Amino acid sequence: MTSTPKMRRGPPLRAAAGLAGALMIAACASTPPAPTGQLQAAQLAISNAERTEAGRYAAGELGEARTKLAYANTAVQEERMIAAAQLADQSRVEAELASAKTAAVKAKVVNDEMKRSTGTLIDEMQRTAGDEQ
Amino acid sequence: MTTTTDKVTIGRTLIAMTVASVLLVACAAAPVAPDGASEVRTKLTQLQSDPNLASRVPLAIKEADAAVRTAELPEADQALGSHRVYIADRKVEIARAQAETLLLEDQRAALSAQRETARLDSRTREADVAKEQVAIARNEADAARVATADAQEQTAELQRQIDAMNAKVTDRGLVLTLGDVLFASGRADLKAGTVNHLDQLVAFLGRYPSRTVMIEGHTDSVGSDDYNQGLSQRRADSVRSYLVRQGVDAARVTTMGAGESTPVAGNESATGRQQNRRVEVIISNPALAAR
Repeated sequence: MTSTPKMRRGPPLRAAAGLAGALMIAACASTPPAPTGQLQAAQLAISNAERTEAGRYAAGELGEARTKLAYANTAVQEERMIAAAQLADQSRVEAELASAKTAAVKAKVVNDEMKRSTGTLIDEMQRTAGDEQ
Repeated sequence: MTTTTDKVTIGRTLIAMTVASVLLVACAAAPVAPDGASEVRTKLTQLQSDPNLASRVPLAIKEADAAVRTAELPEADQALGSHRVYIADRKVEIARAQAETLLLEDQRAALSAQRETARLDSRTREADVAKEQVAIARNEADAARVATADAQEQTAELQRQIDAMNAKVTDRGLVLTLGDVLFASGRADLKAGTVNHLDQLVAFLGRYPSRTVMIEGHTDSVGSDDYNQGLSQRRADSVRSYLVRQGVDAARVTTMGAGESTPVAGNESATGRQQNRRVEVIISNPALAAR
């Protein structure tokens, strides 16, 4: 009879030990999870910027974004996951800035061209008017 | 007992002071806003206070503002603090770039309206110029037509005048021959009532002021050469005097006495001699003179 309670106490103890072990393993494994999502977001932002010809209109920002992403990957290898996540985020915003600046420069190019052609028309008109006199 | 109590009190006070000082130190060392956070806030404020830009990107500005707020939080972790400032700074710049893009795009309507106006003005002007040129050409054609008509009219008029004077068109110009009926035999003064031909000449010279005249006197062979020479000169001068009296500028009229040297008919017959006694008025041809 006395053995029965002892026998009963057995499984909960093992379960507790197993749980503790699992927790410890989980703790060890999760210490720094690689910021995969942030790295992917950064890479995507860089690709988007490249598609908008940021290499031509915002080369500084695009280069900076690439450098930050490279640092982030290095940090992942060194298991400095917090730094890796921050660098990946910085790379992403830098790439987004490259895209935004590229759009602004392109818009300005279009407007300047419009102003130039209008100016040319007006100049021609004044020259024609001058010829008449 | 009292001393013990005092000691306890003092001990408690000391502990309290120590705790307080620790707390004070803790407060003094408390994390402040990271470096650069206030600069980012300034950048954001500048963007927000630009009415042309801020109104165009409310969402991006809201996002940037949230990032700046986070960056302004006191943070003990220096790396995290500067990371937040970095992110906030880029978010502000992204918002500005997006706003500038939208502003530029919004300005295009006005720009293309300007260009359209310029293009229209240009076309209108071109059309006006073309119209003007057509008008000028038409006027010139009209003027040319008028000039041609005038010239034709003038030529016709001249011809009428020439016909009226009984003049001949020769290489020397118009030659008007005044017969000896103007003068009594041996006389150089004009006979009264014979100036009809001369009056037509006066009118002609009045009408064509650029023409000059040469008056040549001629005689028949009766009498000495010298006498005939003198007589022909006097007769020519007599005609000249008449013309000048009628208002013809003396400078336009020259005279010459040819005597009997240039007969137009034989001197054997009376008829021939009569033809030779004459005064010829040669009216210069301005076209020939210009050559």
